[in-house]
Amino acid sequence: MTRKLLRINMSDLSATYEDMPEKWAKWAGRGLTSAITLDEIEPTCHPLGPNNKLIIAPGWVSGTPAAPSSGRTSFGGKSPLTGTIKEANAGGLSSQKIAKLGIGAIILEGTPKDGKWYTLHITKDGVQFDDASDLMGKGMYEVDDLCWQKYPNEPAVIGIGQVGERKLSNAGISVNDPENKPGRYAGRGGMGAVMGARGVKAIVIDDAGGPGVEIADMDLFKQGRKKLTAAIMQHDLTKKDGGLNSYGTNVLMNIINEAGGLPTRNFSAGQFEGAALISGEMVAEMVEKRQSGMTGHGCHPGCIIQCSNIYPNEEGEDFVSCVEYETSWALGANCGINDLDYVAKMTWECNDIGLDTIEAGNTVAVAMDGGLLEFGDKVGALALFDEIRKGTPMGRILGQGVEATAKAFGVSRVPTVKGQSMPAYEPRAIKGIGVTYATSTMGADHTAGYTIAPEIAGVGGKVDPLSKEGKADLSLTFQAATAFIDSTGYCLFIAFPILDIAEGWAGMAESVAGVMGMEITGDDVIPMGKEILKMERIFNERAGFTAADDRLPEFMRFEKLPPHNVVWDTSDEDLDLVYAWVNGTDE
Amino acid sequence: MSITIDLAIYGSLAKLAGGKHLTKMDLELESGSRIEDLFARFNICPEDTSFIFINAVLCDVPGLNASKKEVLHDGDHVGIFSHGYMWPYQYRDGMPMSNSLKQAMREHGALHHTYTNK
Ligand code: SF4
Repeated sequence: MTRKLLRINMSDLSATYEDMPEKWAKWAGRGLTSAITLDEIEPTCHPLGPNNKLIIAPGWVSGTPAAPSSGRTSFGGKSPLTGTIKEANAGGLSSQKIAKLGIGAIILEGTPKDGKWYTLHITKDGVQFDDASDLMGKGMYEVDDLCWQKYPNEPAVIGIGQVGERKLSNAGISVNDPENKPGRYAGRGGMGAVMGARGVKAIVIDDAGGPGVEIADMDLFKQGRKKLTAAIMQHDLTKKDGGLNSYGTNVLMNIINEAGGLPTRNFSAGQFEGAALISGEMVAEMVEKRQSGMTGHGCHPGCIIQCSNIYPNEEGEDFVSCVEYETSWALGANCGINDLDYVAKMTWECNDIGLDTIEAGNTVAVAMDGGLLEFGDKVGALALFDEIRKGTPMGRILGQGVEATAKAFGVSRVPTVKGQSMPAYEPRAIKGIGVTYATSTMGADHTAGYTIAPEIAGVGGKVDPLSKEGKADLSLTFQAATAFIDSTGYCLFIAFPILDIAEGWAGMAESVAGVMGMEITGDDVIPMGKEILKMERIFNERAGFTAADDRLPEFMRFEKLPPHNVVWDTSDEDLDLVYAWVNGTDE
Repeated sequence: MSITIDLAIYGSLAKLAGGKHLTKMDLELESGSRIEDLFARFNICPEDTSFIFINAVLCDVPGLNASKKEVLHDGDHVGIFSHGYMWPYQYRDGMPMSNSLKQAMREHGALHHTYTNK
């Protein structure tokens, strides 16, 4: 049984199962969403118009028996936030269930002629188009509950909150977690608005009786899985009670703050005096003190790293998942807010109404910079989410993200690249990440170039990390490795063990080769990642993007960032080296 | 002569200085004290530390122990992280580093996530 493409056309409410075309057969996850986007979506189309599509794809190993931490789903298409190609991925229940139905990708296209909203119920028997009136206007906590009441077998629920219904540019796509709560977001780039533009409020996926995932070479798959699992369980950061398991990604808050690279009060400083109060260490203390919630939570079944948490409220009840690093920084330090309870409340709001927390926190910070509120006004900040929920004119501006809000409030300190705001690493202090922010095909994105062992990836020994030389190559290598991992279905955090433990790197590639029957080894990771990047770059060029868009915001060139008092000084020529190879101008 | 520094210890080592997951304190030390004197004061085994900062300058990374001899000054802020903290390479690529750490990295090869298989 080969993987099928499920094409759902909302214009005539039809669903067809197509054979996976040869040209896409080797791809899954991000590689597949980007390939389909390049081939099928008009690059100059309006992201909310009838010609954009939402592509949903599980990774290569998703849905296979006990592949560790492999439940990521990729969502692709043209982004309303950036106008570029976009891939955003999330954990939760969807990836494994889509894969077990034998589906390689779902292509959601067209717009309902009757102007109605639909819930799509996907089972082994096909797609049912249900009237979504009962879900409209509701937040994702209620939507997830209602879907589990209405549909059997505890299905995956992919959905959008009120922000996606209004097709605002900071609308994320929610996937429910094993407790049937929202919070696993394909957040970045406004893909929730693309789903809303298709007239779809929720996609419910039930894999009962599905064919499962075919594994071409079970021995090779098992061998790879074993190596990878051993590496994850051995590594300090990913093993049980390791850094990620104990403090989640928010293990980074105090480190980046100590380093002077924590964007604070709308990127006006690199250290926040209240950082410790919103850090992963503090989340762990709250869980112990309030005797509820948990650290070491898995966002999907089968994750063995378990970096997620459930934050307890003042009443000692399980309140929200997940207060992770980017979220706690965006809604905390970047807004001058040092109260974890308020960060948690705003996270809950984002989960419910369907906002990307990074863009949302940056938006509030920019509005504060523009004088709407004082920095640190946690009560005022929380109330803004109510405006967004209700869809007031103010809420609609804020729901559009940072650039629209900056314009509305006359702010020139706008921390975006290609329309997408920066995550929690200050590029003036951490120069390496700035190269990736500037050149990523996705706009400013911290996961675009994830850490990878340069010696494994073939650049070790060639780069002196203490000089600027070679930064372009390094960023490209990171970006390519990330594009590959984003295609596997594995969580990006397997990057740490496969980085330090060579067997883990080989194991990842072998597990993919085992599932797909492809002849790939660890040596193919970077070349295949570059193929994906090339497709994405070509889409962006056709959409009108040029090297002039690969730049950090102007203010970073002249506003000195304390405590190091540094500016962004990487030359444009150096940035242009990263993608020169796509058009052969690197010769 | 004594100096006062502002010390933060993060992670499991915080317990050695009276905290749970993190400890912050002002600390009086003899003038000329070094990072290794802090270790001795709180019974911290150097191998159990990872990233160490002095005034936002990175002075150590997991496994190198390059900071022991750094001399502390009045008003310094010192941040010590326990073993097992993550800081992906590209999120520290280009940060200010102490001279002794730069030297140690040149000797050991800088492009690693960690320097130990511990
Ligand atoms: S490591 Fe964290 S983000 Fe990754 S799959 Fe596990 S719980 Fe989810």
